Amino acid sequence: MAKITWRIWLLIFLLIVSAIVIINPASFTGNVQIKSIVPNSSSANAGITSGEILHEINGQKINSMADYSNAISSLTFEENPITVKTTNGTFEYKSTSVDFNLDNRTITIVLGKAQQAGLKQGMIVEQVNEMSLDNYSFQEIKNKLESKAKITVKTDKNEYTFLTTESTGIVVSSIDITRIKTGLDLQGGARALVQPERPLTDQEMSNLIETVRYRLNVYGLTDINVRDVSDLQGNKYVMVELAGATPIELQDLIAKQGKFEAKIANQTVFVGGHNDITFVCRNDASCARIEQCTETQDGSQSACRFQFEVHLSEAAAEKHAAMTANLSENMSQGKSYLNETLDLYLDDKLVDSLLISSDLKGKVTTSVAVSGSGTGKTKAEAYDAATTSMKKLQTILITGSLPFKLEILKLDSISPSLGQEFTRNILIAGIAVFIGVCVVIYIRYKKLKLVIPILITMVSELLLTLLVAVLIRWNLDLASIAGILAAIGTGVDDQIVMIDESSAASSKQYSIKERIKRAFFIIFTAYATVVVSLLPLWWAGAGLLRGFAVTTLIGISVGVFITRPAFADILKMITKD
Amino acid sequence: MDEDTGQGTAEKAENKPAEEKPAEIKHEPKHEKKEEPKEPRKKFFSSEWYDKHYKKLLIIAILLFVVSIGYIIIFYAQNGDIMHKDVTLTGGTTITVYKSDLNMPELESFLKNKLGEDVIVRKLEDFTTRRTVALVVETRADANVTKTALEEYLKYKLDDTNSSIEISGATLAKSFYNQLLIAMVIAFAFMAIVVFIVFRTFIPSIAVIFAGATDIIGALALVDLLGFRVSTAGIAAFLMLIGYSVDTDTMLTVKTIKRKGEGPVNSRIKSAFKTGLVMTLAALAAVWIAYFISTAPVLKEIFLILGCGLFMDLLTTWIGNAAILKWYCEKKKI
Repeated sequence: MAKITWRIWLLIFLLIVSAIVIINPASFTGNVQIKSIVPNSSSANAGITSGEILHEINGQKINSMADYSNAISSLTFEENPITVKTTNGTFEYKSTSVDFNLDNRTITIVLGKAQQAGLKQGMIVEQVNEMSLDNYSFQEIKNKLESKAKITVKTDKNEYTFLTTESTGIVVSSIDITRIKTGLDLQGGARALVQPERPLTDQEMSNLIETVRYRLNVYGLTDINVRDVSDLQGNKYVMVELAGATPIELQDLIAKQGKFEAKIANQTVFVGGHNDITFVCRNDASCARIEQCTETQDGSQSACRFQFEVHLSEAAAEKHAAMTANLSENMSQGKSYLNETLDLYLDDKLVDSLLISSDLKGKVTTSVAVSGSGTGKTKAEAYDAATTSMKKLQTILITGSLPFKLEILKLDSISPSLGQEFTRNILIAGIAVFIGVCVVIYIRYKKLKLVIPILITMVSELLLTLLVAVLIRWNLDLASIAGILAAIGTGVDDQIVMIDESSAASSKQYSIKERIKRAFFIIFTAYATVVVSLLPLWWAGAGLLRGFAVTTLIGISVGVFITRPAFADILKMITKD
Repeated sequence: MDEDTGQGTAEKAENKPAEEKPAEIKHEPKHEKKEEPKEPRKKFFSSEWYDKHYKKLLIIAILLFVVSIGYIIIFYAQNGDIMHKDVTLTGGTTITVYKSDLNMPELESFLKNKLGEDVIVRKLEDFTTRRTVALVVETRADANVTKTALEEYLKYKLDDTNSSIEISGATLAKSFYNQLLIAMVIAFAFMAIVVFIVFRTFIPSIAVIFAGATDIIGALALVDLLGFRVSTAGIAAFLMLIGYSVDTDTMLTVKTIKRKGEGPVNSRIKSAFKTGLVMTLAALAAVWIAYFISTAPVLKEIFLILGCGLFMDLLTTWIGNAAILKWYCEKKKI
């Protein structure tokens, strides 16, 4: 019995490593994992940590993302009676939250039910539900009055029972069996190749990429890949890839520069970004929400307004005061307003005009309400449209405008369902190819003991290529998979050369070692030609086909340097026996 | 003269199986191969006939090259380019709709009327169930216009759960195309340099490079002949082919000119042929199986092009390259 050489041991070792690395251990215990927990949310306070695996919510088994969203949407929130005592009188209404926000004790923004009850911006609040602002902070009151539901979350680590508001603070993701990352064409998502209005320096380019990434992050997209790419002609592009985003969102967030300006009488008061805006209220129903959905008379069109609060920097607030000081007052619908409106512009287009309450005349106020609207054919559509535009506007106000105008040159979106179909199909095709190759080899040599090592080598090459892909976090797209199959194909070629060289009758005068060495000369030459012919793909076409080149190169390199030497030793063992 | 023409037809008859076998084998690799290499092949490379007439085989190889080039030139004259390009290389919109029960010709003519542009509708089929998975609409028209027209036909809204959209700008697509062509030239030059470095002899190196060139050009001619529309991924496949197709040529050259002590030239070529045929057949089996089973258009395209190239490789290596090497060895008395 020939001994197992270090080359074979190396292969065995690497195969074990790849099995460990490729398989995701979390997949043994559940299907839905907590990706992150919003700090200070009710679930964070309950002690849930990110990384835990969900088993049950309120007794419902969680086996998929759909189960999770069902469980969360079946939570019911009741409306609490709310009584607000102000210097202008007492107001009563029922709501799931207080529906207004305070700056010190002055109401800065009023929404929904509170607004319907008659509360107004500028009123001074003394008590809410018998809780005096002398004794309680507004935050405490808000927390107490926000409607809550009991939720029991069972994870792999613990069981948690707590009261939650409408947003649980839990962000989940599904767990995959492997750690292999698939490209957009297999998992669904959107990809855009964009070009700035003029050629940028490296510094400008990295600023741009940072801003784009920041904007997408703020918008709430997590799986983002933004990078600069250049092509053979030296053109520079930005490639943006988003898993699970729609192309329309991507288009709106990137192709629009997002230059936000608030103007009074055509003079800029403040612009988007952290210089003028210190805080933007988001995900908090008391200072940011959709309200007032209206239908046109024939019912063919619906519109919903949204409103949210922003805090201005001291400088911007003073500018606002100076600009409003000289305006005159007008009466409209029984209320007193200034004669000029606060006009909100996005990319030089007027999106909304707000009446300015005369209370604010000449006052340094750091709190301003920003509003806009969304329209649709039905009320639901209009509501969704308003939610999306609010989210976009909030994002733009936080991140400021992009430093350069961008043009989308190529935009792809792949739906997740087609990706799944492709993945299943690739697995079948892969297995069929393996069988086909084995059949050809068996017909030629009629020795099972030659077919088996070849099959083992093919599978090893596949696993090791995937290992490298996981380690370098390469996203496998369709082109990459074609590359892997092609690499395995060349691998089989090389093994055939080795079998024939090692058993060639004409070279009996050489030792088997010598014969295998000669085989490697052919193998290395073939390797070199494939490598050099794929190199140009790294640059050509803005690197869109890099996946094909990279996986082919990984595949054939793994083959030439790891599996082929091991195969040679296995071959020696077989021929000795 | 008479004898010569007689030989000419005999030669073609002898040659036919070499061309046709692999085409059949790609479907049914099982029983075909058993007898094949033994009888006709052994005789072929070591026969007196081969010794006498191998130079004529060289003419066939050159003819193959010339015919392919000629076809591509005619194709260029007719179509304004050397291949049919899809929207990823011309610019335009591709919309994939997950719907199986649509009347494709009707949809095509509806969209043509609406858009005033050429429209191509294809279907994606699942190999195992033969079920239509999705329909692919390709056009040079603007994405939003196409989407609206398609929605009008389908009578429902398209979103990311029921469709996929790909948009390529025309300038970008053109620049991609040019770059990928440049990439092919560079890749080919790189390959040639490697071949020269490895063999360091002029004629055998040129023979390998010539075989590689015929593979690429022949594959392109085949793809054109089939009316296939090439995308960016297809060009990647051509690049791969540059490296892949010289595998067998390399092996043949090493065995023939670097192994003087291992019997006469003919037996060296024969031994290389036995190895090379299995290599190419295994690769052809893999590529054609993958082609027939794959649903994804990108994969289908890559495998089709590799398949065409490998088929050409069978001809160029064992007719052209083998003949040049034999000639070279006889001249140099290797």
